[in-house]
Amino acid sequence: MKLDMKTIALGISLLTTGASLGCNGSDDSSGPLGNVDSLVILQRPRRNDTGDIFQYTSYVPGARIVKLTPPTADGKQETLCCTNVPGFEKADISSYDISFDAKQIVFSAKLADNQAYGLHILTLADGHVDTIPTDPMRDYVSPIWLPGDRIMFTTNAIVEAGAPQHQDEYERGTTIQLGRINTDGSHEELGPRNLSHRTAPSLASDGRVIFTQWDHLGGENSGHLMFVNQDMEELREAFGKEGKGASNSTLKAQEIAPGRYIGIATARNRTINAGALVDIRLGLPYTTDNGLLADHQMSEANSSYVLLTPDVPTDNSASSDSVGRYYDAYALNAKDKPDLVVSWADGVVESSFLAAANSSADFGVYLYDSATQQRRPILDDHTMWDIFPRPLQTRTAPPVVSSADDPNLGGQLLVGAMNVYQSSLHTFNQGEIYGVRIQEGFSSEEGFPRMFGTTMFEGQASLGIAKVATDGSWLATVPANVPLHLQTIDNYGMSLFNEPVWFSGRAGESRVCGGCHESRTDTTVINPGITQAFAIGPTDARGKVARTDRMMAVADLANDSIITNDAQNHTIGTDRIVGMGWDKAVQPVFDAKCVACHNGVAGPGNPSYTISDPKTGASVTWVFNLSGNKIPLTIGGVTLNSFTASYFSMAGPDMEQIEKGGLMISGNFKVYMNPQDARGSIAMKTLNPSQLFPTVDSSKHAFAGTTHAAAKGFAELTPTEIYKLILAADMGLNFYARENNPHDSSY
Amino acid sequence: MKNINKLFTAVVLCIAASASPALAGKGGSASLISQAVSSGSTDAIIAEVEKTEALMCEDCIQIVTNLTEDSRYEVREVAGWWFAKRPQLAELLVEQFEGELANGTSTAVRNGADFLGATRTLTALPNLRAAIDRGGLTAEARLAIVRAAGVLAHKDGNYVLSRGMQDSDATVRMTAVKAWRDVLKQTDATPVVTLLADPDSTVRQAASAVVGGMHQQSARVALETLVVSDVDANVRRNAAWALGQLGQSASHAALVKASGDASGLVRMTAKVALGQLR
Repeated sequence: MKLDMKTIALGISLLTTGASLGCNGSDDSSGPLGNVDSLVILQRPRRNDTGDIFQYTSYVPGARIVKLTPPTADGKQETLCCTNVPGFEKADISSYDISFDAKQIVFSAKLADNQAYGLHILTLADGHVDTIPTDPMRDYVSPIWLPGDRIMFTTNAIVEAGAPQHQDEYERGTTIQLGRINTDGSHEELGPRNLSHRTAPSLASDGRVIFTQWDHLGGENSGHLMFVNQDMEELREAFGKEGKGASNSTLKAQEIAPGRYIGIATARNRTINAGALVDIRLGLPYTTDNGLLADHQMSEANSSYVLLTPDVPTDNSASSDSVGRYYDAYALNAKDKPDLVVSWADGVVESSFLAAANSSADFGVYLYDSATQQRRPILDDHTMWDIFPRPLQTRTAPPVVSSADDPNLGGQLLVGAMNVYQSSLHTFNQGEIYGVRIQEGFSSEEGFPRMFGTTMFEGQASLGIAKVATDGSWLATVPANVPLHLQTIDNYGMSLFNEPVWFSGRAGESRVCGGCHESRTDTTVINPGITQAFAIGPTDARGKVARTDRMMAVADLANDSIITNDAQNHTIGTDRIVGMGWDKAVQPVFDAKCVACHNGVAGPGNPSYTISDPKTGASVTWVFNLSGNKIPLTIGGVTLNSFTASYFSMAGPDMEQIEKGGLMISGNFKVYMNPQDARGSIAMKTLNPSQLFPTVDSSKHAFAGTTHAAAKGFAELTPTEIYKLILAADMGLNFYARENNPHDSSY
Repeated sequence: MKNINKLFTAVVLCIAASASPALAGKGGSASLISQAVSSGSTDAIIAEVEKTEALMCEDCIQIVTNLTEDSRYEVREVAGWWFAKRPQLAELLVEQFEGELANGTSTAVRNGADFLGATRTLTALPNLRAAIDRGGLTAEARLAIVRAAGVLAHKDGNYVLSRGMQDSDATVRMTAVKAWRDVLKQTDATPVVTLLADPDSTVRQAASAVVGGMHQQSARVALETLVVSDVDANVRRNAAWALGQLGQSASHAALVKASGDASGLVRMTAKVALGQLR
């Protein structure tokens, strides 16, 4: 093995041979590493199978953790772990963290190809390694020390007994979620689940944990920084949303100073986990004797960033020679332009380019001066990735931050808001919100095909509707640990606004917000005393119902009379309408009321349009058809419709496909139902729903004018039928739901 | 090599004759997939196929169809995934691949099983059950059949997994054992218990983890033997973890002994398991 200690001048300022001058400081006379006796570095054999930033299963034996003393190009390298530990001869190590007292290292290692990544603790004094007991069939990666003798990690182990782990947004990879365990191996806890990955946790000085979460809901498809408490509760947005991010994904955040983080700005795919260095300020920046801080008025609205490596791509384009990409960074001080120890690779760092060239990225360790944008080499073993350089120093443990749980919730999660009308994302008219609909998300792991429909939304089930009180407050008890999505709805059951993310919470947790994504810099003002929702009590939104039972009763699927008024003239029955399996729950509506006319025979009631390929002259024609028949539609060898005629007629072709394929549409083309937007859908405007809440009232309609049925002289859709169509649209216009999961029915 | 375009012509009338590559969206195209294939790199092929996830790309069809017969599982898997995003196209190949499960060579069986798994073709389960009982297949083909049953994760594939656990090849047995736990709504790990005595340590490791993860109480005695006597430290660790999951007080003596194991892989796991006993 060739070690290339690049021959930087021995006299450069970063060199030091003296004893440590103390902890966590910087002695300007000896450079930014002047106070650092040693650097710990992870060396992994070079590879090229980690283009995806959430890739966690890559395995190449031969990794080691080394110490470089002094942290200079001519420093002495000592292997700390684990080539000399029995059982670890073929280990790959994916990441590590140094304990607060700098006496131990926790790391994630896979010991053989047939095993999963597990957690291990190295004691530096004697070199012995203890294995933390974790599920041997699940991967445990990205460990960090928490105060109170705990370790946090990410894992594909599953918090919900008997449930499969979620698949990611491509329906291809098993997601990883947060968890924690005591350092003695006891009391493993798994956190609530996101619908996609969570990765790269890091501890902040205020005691919270910052990490990257993949957010995917319709058009949202990016990786953002989030905060949780050490007990994985109180999930909060940190950086990257609301158009404030520097890139599609921000990952590997490490605190520079309170409110200020160094991170990697990059794209989701093909970037080998590497990108540009970005200095993130979560609040309003201010200068102190300790450097630049940004913990005042922290909010998305006040956040900002500075790109420290402006030439490095923040997308997944190929980086050029001498520019390269950064794998990770650690700040040595909090100067306005901080000094960093970084892991960097030169040239093209993009997986497909590298693979086609039969090459791989060569990450080495460097000292980076962000003021001058100069790198100074410290260590580069060309056979290895030299990554995660960290000073071997003691550090101050932040306080133990935990959340208040309510045992009275009986294992449920309490969600709600003090005043739903307060929102930074949407302006509501006072009084227009009837309630908040809570929807559960799931992926194909429950046995579904790898597409729920043509709209790219995940599977959904309506858990219930919490009525908003006159003071704007609402509360609901919902299942813990599952991805949830909220919609404010009007008196007709249609969504007024979608919160554009999935969120989740733990059993016993209370996630009561000020508003509906309210401004984080404003104060929520409520009348003195408790909110009305607290006084009334939370709505039961299937908080204790098992996953397999969170679906419609078979008898209700084609039932057109579920929704009605009770003796007090209050709407009942909407809670029985859960998932909209298109052929089981929606098609009966069309069969009963629509298909007699809308049968695919071209005419005034069945408009048609033509999709053509200008390159070839090929074309296909579609005629409006609300039958449940499967009618293939293909052009140029590409499938446009794999579902039923009614689904394609309502959802239309995938417009992304049309656009990308350079196809032309002519004729009477319309998309009749919009995902997550029943209110804006042509079908709903035509049908003109009658009022569903708080009382079913057929004399009141959502839109001006008459209804389609009245105009044509046919029977009106029942409240149940109309609500099924509304829910189908507002839940993403999927074809599949639990009610028609092929895995559970006749396949 | 399968020629999906011939199939396609027979089924659908509107095939276009265009040969121009579609370049759009995430930057994927047929020519880029072809370049990746030429490079021979698994990673490049996967990256380029993924880039065409939502791309209308007629020229990709035959190229990706060819990848369903690649020698590398990772490549066959991503090709199957690509077809799973295009259900009508996938259907064109399903019948052919199902037929090869019954009559094809070992290589054809391997390719067919991986395709049917990756496209989540549940209707292939009867064919997979029949194929696992075919004689004369290579271990690679049998592994693919078991792997497909695992991906489909349906109880109707249990027969395939059970037969896989009796296979002469250790990798097939290990794969079958691991897949058993993740079959949806699977609650009984009885068939796995006998694998705790498997001659191959990787199978014993997997079996220990599965019976522990599924709380198979009938495995306790065998696990107590393994935790104190197996030659493989990974088996002892997994057995200790499994005994903790079972939580039976009868395991106390075995776990106390394991707490003093020479291997750091085992000691803490055994100590924690002791604390989990009722």
